[in-house]
Amino acid sequence: MIPAAFEYSAPASLDEALALLSAHGDEAKVLAGGQSLLPLMKLRLATPGHLVDLTRIPGLNRIEQDGVPSAGDQRIPVPVASRLQRPMLSIGALTLYCQIEESTLLRQACPLLPQTASAVADVQVRNRGTIGGSLAHADPAGDMAAAALALDATLRAVGPSGERWIPAAEFFTGFFTTALAPDEILVEMRVPVLEGWTTTYRKAAPRASGFAIAGVAVCLRKGPDETCQEIRIGVTGVTERPFRAHAVEDALRGKPLVASVIEEAAEAVAEGVWIAEDVRASAAYRAHLARIYASRAIQGARDADTPGGLSTGL
Amino acid sequence: MTSEAPVKHAVRVQVNERQYEEEVEGRRLLVHFLRETLGLTGTHVGCVVGECGACSVLLDGSVVKSCLVLAVQADGRAVVTIEGLERNGSLHPLQESFVSRYGLQCGYCTPGMILTALDLLARNPRPTEDDIRHGLAGNLCMCTGYMQIVEAVREAATVLAGATPDLA
Amino acid sequence: MISAERPQGTSVGKSVRSHEAPRHASGRGHFVDDYRLPGMLHAAVLRSPHPHARIVGFDVTEALGLPGMVAVLTPDDVRSMSRPFAPGRYAAGLRTPVPEYASAVDKVRYVGEPVAAVAARDAATAEDALDRIVVEYEPLPPVVGTSEAMRRDAPLLYEELGTNVPWRGAVSYGDVDAAFREAELVVRDRLKMHRYSSVPLETFACIASADPTNATLTVWVNAQVPDVIDDALREGLGLRDVRIIIPDIGGGFGQKIHLIRKYVLITALLSLKTSRPVKWVEDRSGHMMAGGHACAQEWDVEAAVQRDGTVLGLRVRETDDVGGSISTLTIHFTNKLNNLFNTYTTQHLSLEGSSVVTNKCPVVPNRGIGKPGMCFVWERTMDRVAQTLGMSPVEVRTVNLIPSDQFPYQTPNGNIYDSGDYAGMLRRAMERIGYEELREEQARLREQGRCLGVGLAVAVEPGGRNAARDLALFPGIKGVSGSGGVNGATIRLERSGMVTLLLGSPNCGQSHETTTSQIVGDVLGLSPDRISVISPFDSEVAPWGSAAANSGNNFHLYDIGAAHDAARKLRERILTLAGHLLNTDPEDLVLEDGAVSRRSRGTPDQDGVGPSHAPSPHSPTPRLTFAELGRVAYGNQALLPKGFEPGLQETSYYTFPHAEPFVVPDEQGRVRAQFTFSAAVHIAVVEVDPATGEVEVQRYLIVSDNGTIINPSVVDGQIYGSAAHGISVALGEAFVYDEDGRLLTLTLTDYGKSTALETPRIEVEHRPMPSPFTTLGQKAAGEGAAIPSPAAIASAVEDALQPFGVRVRELPLTPEAIWRLIGSSAR
Repeated sequence: MIPAAFEYSAPASLDEALALLSAHGDEAKVLAGGQSLLPLMKLRLATPGHLVDLTRIPGLNRIEQDGVPSAGDQRIPVPVASRLQRPMLSIGALTLYCQIEESTLLRQACPLLPQTASAVADVQVRNRGTIGGSLAHADPAGDMAAAALALDATLRAVGPSGERWIPAAEFFTGFFTTALAPDEILVEMRVPVLEGWTTTYRKAAPRASGFAIAGVAVCLRKGPDETCQEIRIGVTGVTERPFRAHAVEDALRGKPLVASVIEEAAEAVAEGVWIAEDVRASAAYRAHLARIYASRAIQGARDADTPGGLSTGL
Repeated sequence: MTSEAPVKHAVRVQVNERQYEEEVEGRRLLVHFLRETLGLTGTHVGCVVGECGACSVLLDGSVVKSCLVLAVQADGRAVVTIEGLERNGSLHPLQESFVSRYGLQCGYCTPGMILTALDLLARNPRPTEDDIRHGLAGNLCMCTGYMQIVEAVREAATVLAGATPDLA
Repeated sequence: MISAERPQGTSVGKSVRSHEAPRHASGRGHFVDDYRLPGMLHAAVLRSPHPHARIVGFDVTEALGLPGMVAVLTPDDVRSMSRPFAPGRYAAGLRTPVPEYASAVDKVRYVGEPVAAVAARDAATAEDALDRIVVEYEPLPPVVGTSEAMRRDAPLLYEELGTNVPWRGAVSYGDVDAAFREAELVVRDRLKMHRYSSVPLETFACIASADPTNATLTVWVNAQVPDVIDDALREGLGLRDVRIIIPDIGGGFGQKIHLIRKYVLITALLSLKTSRPVKWVEDRSGHMMAGGHACAQEWDVEAAVQRDGTVLGLRVRETDDVGGSISTLTIHFTNKLNNLFNTYTTQHLSLEGSSVVTNKCPVVPNRGIGKPGMCFVWERTMDRVAQTLGMSPVEVRTVNLIPSDQFPYQTPNGNIYDSGDYAGMLRRAMERIGYEELREEQARLREQGRCLGVGLAVAVEPGGRNAARDLALFPGIKGVSGSGGVNGATIRLERSGMVTLLLGSPNCGQSHETTTSQIVGDVLGLSPDRISVISPFDSEVAPWGSAAANSGNNFHLYDIGAAHDAARKLRERILTLAGHLLNTDPEDLVLEDGAVSRRSRGTPDQDGVGPSHAPSPHSPTPRLTFAELGRVAYGNQALLPKGFEPGLQETSYYTFPHAEPFVVPDEQGRVRAQFTFSAAVHIAVVEVDPATGEVEVQRYLIVSDNGTIINPSVVDGQIYGSAAHGISVALGEAFVYDEDGRLLTLTLTDYGKSTALETPRIEVEHRPMPSPFTTLGQKAAGEGAAIPSPAAIASAVEDALQPFGVRVRELPLTPEAIWRLIGSSAR
């Protein structure tokens, strides 16, 4: 249970990190918090020849709104992409789960992220694990991925030929794989400030601190008379990658948010999706849980009394 | 890969308020560094894949599993292990409450459990039973059924709430 | 005869300050992996990736070329350097001897079976070397399930046995057929328990240091039973001088009794081969694959029942899946003799067993071994009888419980239950849980579609092993030797006045040091904190006998008995010496607070001798401290009484004085399987989410009789821990294999170990009924709550799901299993 030998670098800048990735090609692997990668390396399921540790690069650990850092964070100028017009939250890739969990800004402007972060593993992992590491690792049962999908997040990747923005919906491409090229580094996640939306994250896990068998993140905007005006649902743990449950969203838009309607809509959550089967759950049970938890998460969002968004009065 | 001498990296790390400077291989885990390089055997290994919490230590004041940190990653940082909690030959109130409330049996999970509880009480000085159980969810104990551990943490919270808070 | 009076100021019954806890809470515990010897190498074990295969080729060239590599232990080395294990008592039923070496030499029979080992300068290099050993296997078809293994055309694990069922046997007490003829009805069921373990947080660890120049070997190992290691090394290596040191153990629970011997032998062979000390520490996945599992057991149960609920007889056919080794063939069957009749008056019972080998991890002892299974059979049957007769589960049990006026009670198989008030405990449990109110609440919630359930289990917890038990099943079999049990303790008043106590068995977290310090402290009139209990266990120093085992609930009987007797002997010697020095009749002396003084005025039997008169010529006051006595005993010949041997050290070896009758089996096979009988009533209150199958344990109450309680916090801790384990086992802990014999649960998370979050708060109420047979009336507490808790949870979940008509017949009750039960009943 000791990793195979590897070379280790801790570059001080992103450019240096990118150069290392280019130089080492497939042999190189990016290390962030290490909470997922190091266990795989110890089991020798991952044997990278070169580990590029990002944690010494300044500026990747921050939570800000529209380029303004939240209290206590270092101010880092953020290039705001012109297409992003709404108020935006930016979370650096090396931001720790515990920082997300405790961020006053996020609790107010995007409660889904703290809600989801607090459901990740245990305090030790949340103290060390990073959001970027979680997203880039792309565990099919990753909690943060469900939130990123429900929030319609945009992810900024930097590579040798510059940066690009990847919508969360296009980021998770398969089993532990993402849209990132081997020489690219995920540096930031952006999410819109959701005015008047309510959110929840619910997951079924055999152990509270374990991975989701089915995890469902919901962003919901209610219309008048408790109808569903807009909804986005991110699902994790069910298939080879986290995904958006468009069928459920479509079935609910414009509908009254009563239990029977929600339950019926939630039936579609895993429709047409290959369902994973492992020692934690059979495919049939996992699909069943996905439906139940989707329904419960939507109802939870419906009943949540604190809508996400900026402070009152806006 | 098979070269005779693996590349070593300098690690300057403060452990229990003492400065150390050592050379380590990249793959050296913090837990092995603490146990084998520094001889601080109070930090235990239960699974080495981050599932049991026995190796929990404080890294820059936050509890982490030292099997999920490379020793090189601790360069320039401060670590507190179970050996760093005593003051002048007296147990820390958390250690004391684990003793007085029988919050341990075989003792193997105890150091990790105490450091995790320390992190919990630093964030939440008056935890409910539920808070304590949530806070300790990353630390397995196979002996106690957690009852007396929860009691010990609860008692320590009471003691610490009435004491000067420089201990954590 | 010296005064036999009990000293005043007793610490027995109090939760005194723990002896062990300060070292553990401060990081000063000493576990095997904490030790380093000069020149020490590090070992790693190569394990089989196949469930069933023949080893056909072996190439270590590349591994040996790795810098830092020192030695490889191949199957050929193992065959040439060691002998196979002698079949021990766990395999007493095996009729054809099958040689089993420390590692696989020709065939592998489970994933994870050791096939080779390496020693290198450090652990990382050792692991690197494993990747470079080439083993050529010829895979054989795996035999995974018992029914598959029992098929006539099944591939054989052991060709030499000609069968995958190396043992079948039966016991029968009373007239079972007559009971069934007489019965008004017969209740039948088919029940199952699964593979689990206690997964101690510290895995197996061993350091072996061989000195070939004088044929000595010292091992540091976290083994629970020194005997097993001693036998393995002496027989396996032909060594006479073997020293076993057992430091702090990071949890045992039975896991560290048996299979660990393989690895000690492997490590010792590497040390012999390299002439250097070698350390080996098992890794977690290795432990999950190959550290040993509790046996999966299946039962066909028939109960002969009267309409009033009386169970006249029970007929049980058991199939044990013992995994890929014959070395523990019969333990889960034989251990059922210990609680064969549980708490009930039933007089007729037969138990038939088949032990089936499969390509899975070998089974090992685990907290109670077969006892949780026997209790599960009884308690599921009681619930089934209640359902059949439309009686309450409480009523059915009450009808069958052994009445409190029948103790000591002899069971038909020869166990003698020392004391108990089972019906009183059950009544108290019902009262405290608020049983009637819970039933009302349950009805209310059912109307809302919610599933509340109340479950019940009653159990005896046997304690103190009788080595002759298995003769009842295997008369004359060689692996079974001895009867009763022996263990020792040595106590010494040091020159400093401190008292040191040396126990005959190792400790793995049950506070043996604290508990015995209280007992001997009371005998010597000394506060427990002035008694130093020596650790680690060292086989060349400790006064150990056949019962020196952190197992079998032996401590409360043998170790406490020995420590108490040794302290009594020391007390006599102290009084003799002090009487001489104080020129006083020892009868008139008292031991108090680390000193001997004359009995104070007013003491009824003081004989008219005033406390301040006639001081001894050698002492200015009528009081001598232990330090003063120590100085005389170890250094002043002139002051010693005539014929008084210098020094103040006593050793006692204890055997249970009430072991007769049935310490060896009579012609009817009646034998005392164990010697004391604690008991408990468990009540679980659960709510099941019928949509997901998730279970919340809302309350868990235990009313417990553990005899005289020496240290309440220690006893509570044993009960909490064993209950938590049993609950976790019932609700999801499990080793799961796929149909190809590959273990899917290689990590603690996948295995499903409960954390503080899933573990319920456990309420304990003591109803101690002291044993009339033991030193202080004490009974066992170590396995305790692990015996009935799986049954209590099964009972509660079944009760919760009553609207669905669900029958719980097997464990574990994972959410998915419950969801399936609900689904199958709905269809």
